[in-house]
Amino acid sequence: MVHIDFTINGQQKALDIPADITALELIRSLLGLKGTKEGCGIGECGACTINVNGRAINSCLMLAAQLDGTKVLTVEGLATENSLAPVQEKFMENHGVQCGFCTPGVLMSSHALLAENPDPNDEEISKAIAGNLCRCTGYKQIFVSVREAARLTQQKGEGGND
Amino acid sequence: MTDIEYIRPLDLKEALDFLWDNGEDTRIIAGGTDVMVDIRSEGLDKKYLLDISRLDELKGIELNGQELSVGAGVTLSEIYSSRILESHALALKKSAFSFASRQIRNIATIGGNVAHSSPCGDTVPALLAHGTKALVADKKETRLVSMEEMATKAYMSCLSPKQILVKFILTPYGDGFADFQKIGRRRELAVSRISMAVFVKKDKEGKISFLKIGLGACTPTPCNMEAVEAFLTGKVLTRELIWEAGGLLAGNMIEITGRRSSAIYKEPAVQGLFMRILYPMVNV
Repeated sequence: MVHIDFTINGQQKALDIPADITALELIRSLLGLKGTKEGCGIGECGACTINVNGRAINSCLMLAAQLDGTKVLTVEGLATENSLAPVQEKFMENHGVQCGFCTPGVLMSSHALLAENPDPNDEEISKAIAGNLCRCTGYKQIFVSVREAARLTQQKGEGGND
Repeated sequence: MTDIEYIRPLDLKEALDFLWDNGEDTRIIAGGTDVMVDIRSEGLDKKYLLDISRLDELKGIELNGQELSVGAGVTLSEIYSSRILESHALALKKSAFSFASRQIRNIATIGGNVAHSSPCGDTVPALLAHGTKALVADKKETRLVSMEEMATKAYMSCLSPKQILVKFILTPYGDGFADFQKIGRRRELAVSRISMAVFVKKDKEGKISFLKIGLGACTPTPCNMEAVEAFLTGKVLTRELIWEAGGLLAGNMIEITGRRSSAIYKEPAVQGLFMRILYPMVNV
């Protein structure tokens, strides 16, 4: 067993976990946060994408023990009590979702992108979500959703400064 | 219940001390993007997982005079965003652009890519083109290993279980042309079928004065292509000459790899990729 201390969706956790489990197993099985999906399990599909210290990573490729001391954000932590995150709102509005299995991962990749680059062009959006497979939407609506989420994030940012 | 133990040493010395006593029973993990796939498919037949991802000694990209060093623990994302590599090792920077996906680039390390010794590790042809040596350490000594010697066969490096890859020392060639390109089944998140990196310099008369070629994925281990380098050195590049050299390169690849069923595709593709990379260097 390994002892780890980390923050997930704003909550401090101190846990003893098996040494060889993935971050994905920790999140889904031990913490019961089922929003993060397991698709391929080998880093090809991106369904398990989470943010660790603000960067998108595949939780199936990360050893849970390596989360010690980090800040983790999963899809459950995107919304606040009062509102959805801009990416969630815009994916809903623009039908960026069809079957929904890839959606948590795409949201987390998009969220990390917008935190790093508030005004991405299509090439930058494509680069950021290239590791997320979606077999339903054809990606078109996903691009629209991310573009609009970028605009909304900027507006909200400006509003917040008032 | 698993009896695997996870160990995260505080510094390189502690890591090397641990490996000196327990190397045979230990799997080293840095970014984990290869190790976790292996654990999933075949489990872990070791007692210990040694996490070297936070060792400061393996971090950083530095230029000191004639020595450009890239820490083995540097991630592919860090390589892609490095200003130093943009100016001094462009092929390496470019190899990080098309490497797997953003999620993987954010944690995968260059040391892991090299140590894993996959024939299609994208950073290796780039390191070959940049005349790289790896600094390898165990508890008792450090030594330099050239990139040509690093992989002994596919998925097998020359590193002993007691050793850690510390950093890569590249030759900053100064002004010149460098590129990396690859062919995969799609543009993003594709395993390379063919990867190629070059570094080229021309003299005042426009003749090739220096050329290094690293070829990967289509040979069992990535390799330099010395016969082609010698063939082009001292010549003025023309379209016809690059095509001829590309043919020689493809022929050498077949000699090394053998004529597999994919050769009918790979032979012209190697030639074409070489043409695509070097064409901007044709004197106009």
